[in-house]
Amino acid sequence: MIKTKKTGLHTFMAVPAFLLFSLFFIYPLIQGIGMSLTDWDGLSHANFIGLQNFFDFFKDERAVSDIGNTLLFALGSAPLLNIIGLAYALLMNEKFKGKGIARVIIYLPAVISPLIMGYIWYLLLQPGRGFMFHALELVGKSSWLGNWLGDHTAAMIVLVLVNVWQYAGMTMVIYLAGLQSIPEELYESAKIDGASYWSSLRYVTLPMLMPSIRINVVTNIIGSLAVFDIVMALTDGGPGYATETLSIYIMRMCYGSKTGYSTAVALIMFLIILIPVIISMRLTREKE
Amino acid sequence: MKNVLKVFKYLVVAIICAICLIPFYILLILSLNTPQRIFYQGNMFVPDFYFRNYVDAWNKSHIDIAILNSAVITIVALAIILIFGTMAAYTIARFKYKFNQFVFWLFLSCMMIPGIINTVPLYSLMIKLNAINTLWGMGVVCATIALPSAVFIFTGFIKSLPREIEEAAIIDGCSWFTAFWKITFPLLKPSVAAVIILNGFGIWNNYAQAVFFLQDSKKHNIPQALSVYFQQFAGAHWNLMAATAVIAVIPVIIAFLLFQKSLMRGLTDGALKG
Repeated sequence: MIKTKKTGLHTFMAVPAFLLFSLFFIYPLIQGIGMSLTDWDGLSHANFIGLQNFFDFFKDERAVSDIGNTLLFALGSAPLLNIIGLAYALLMNEKFKGKGIARVIIYLPAVISPLIMGYIWYLLLQPGRGFMFHALELVGKSSWLGNWLGDHTAAMIVLVLVNVWQYAGMTMVIYLAGLQSIPEELYESAKIDGASYWSSLRYVTLPMLMPSIRINVVTNIIGSLAVFDIVMALTDGGPGYATETLSIYIMRMCYGSKTGYSTAVALIMFLIILIPVIISMRLTREKE
Repeated sequence: MKNVLKVFKYLVVAIICAICLIPFYILLILSLNTPQRIFYQGNMFVPDFYFRNYVDAWNKSHIDIAILNSAVITIVALAIILIFGTMAAYTIARFKYKFNQFVFWLFLSCMMIPGIINTVPLYSLMIKLNAINTLWGMGVVCATIALPSAVFIFTGFIKSLPREIEEAAIIDGCSWFTAFWKITFPLLKPSVAAVIILNGFGIWNNYAQAVFFLQDSKKHNIPQALSVYFQQFAGAHWNLMAATAVIAVIPVIIAFLLFQKSLMRGLTDGALKG
């Protein structure tokens, strides 16, 4: 073992990353707390107004329904992403020809801008003109396809499905990495003990996969609750504000010169994200 | 029975792949149709091969500037992530100093905070720094948001490399700092590929931060240019929209195909064991 000199350049190697992160992430985060207590409009003098912004938020029907939309989206999107991602990974971990190409294809949607994805699905679902409408018309079921993007529930379902469909590959890759670090011997000894496919999945794969499950669950919760692009492209938050999410609301409030207010909304959103994240971290840790 | 299962497996994989390829197929067909043609009319598998769309899209959409802007932003951001991120990960992985442990803890906890939370206060900081509507400013913002997860992946990967490789270099007279650049850094390739794939494309496609920090149309990145273009035509001219999107997507797909081979290694060797 070589004696490490107490000082030397290696001691300070985390400093540049730390300084950059402090200036562009931590400092605005803390400053945001101060800003949220003011009526600042982004230009003129800011007045201290206490918790008024927070009271205003919960009095605004649009804001409260935005919380609902955001939670609804995440409630659909995060579990589906994990289940489908895991199923894909289990399938892609089997031995078969063309596995490499299949993995690449499944990941491919994730590298494209969600905005482009949104536009493509908009084209497919346009009421009366879109491709889906005509496909259903051909089989005589055009009545099935109403104005999906113009109806709150249907639009939310479409948003969730498009998002899941785009990012299932990303979840899959993390699960695949986890699956491949499980030693083969564990499966062999499970087989010797007479374990079926399902019981070795239950008692070997899933427990060993816990670190990947935690990463995927947490990142999918965060990603889903912060959803922005796909909603902007597909529904623009509409009809009216029916599918508007919190991140779009923050952006619009900031554009509307309600800078102080929008930082207050961001803090509320932060708490909304923190709670499910902490809960899921606890749950995945205990089972490990 | 075994053969039936095998055929079934291939069938399922084929269906999944087809579903994943649908948008690419639609984009391609649309981009090659004449403006008069309606997508679902006639044979959906044979487009008109109307290549003029690409010329028109290129001339009308300013996508060339947007691609250049996105490229500069992505390169700036990735350079910062790769240099600062790997350096931090190295010292965190190798030395248990209080400061290192604190930085790692800070990054881990901030992985849970999406960028949109501090975007508004960051905006006023960016004004003070004259960084609004600059590509370097946008690059720095994107780098900061991606830094925690990148450090997490790099740290796991470096921990999986034996410490002896650096110690051997130190016996030969290197310091820990130069040993990193000479020995460890070149070995990080798989984890660099993983970070580029997991973060790089998000930066290239960034929209949520771009709407705040790149308001000048000359500095628009690809998603912004596309959204302006889309709103301008309000859903008409799908052939031009699609051609523009194809032009914008090509560099991304090339980059992805180049890096995808190392992705799995970068993720399996360490990242998830930490």
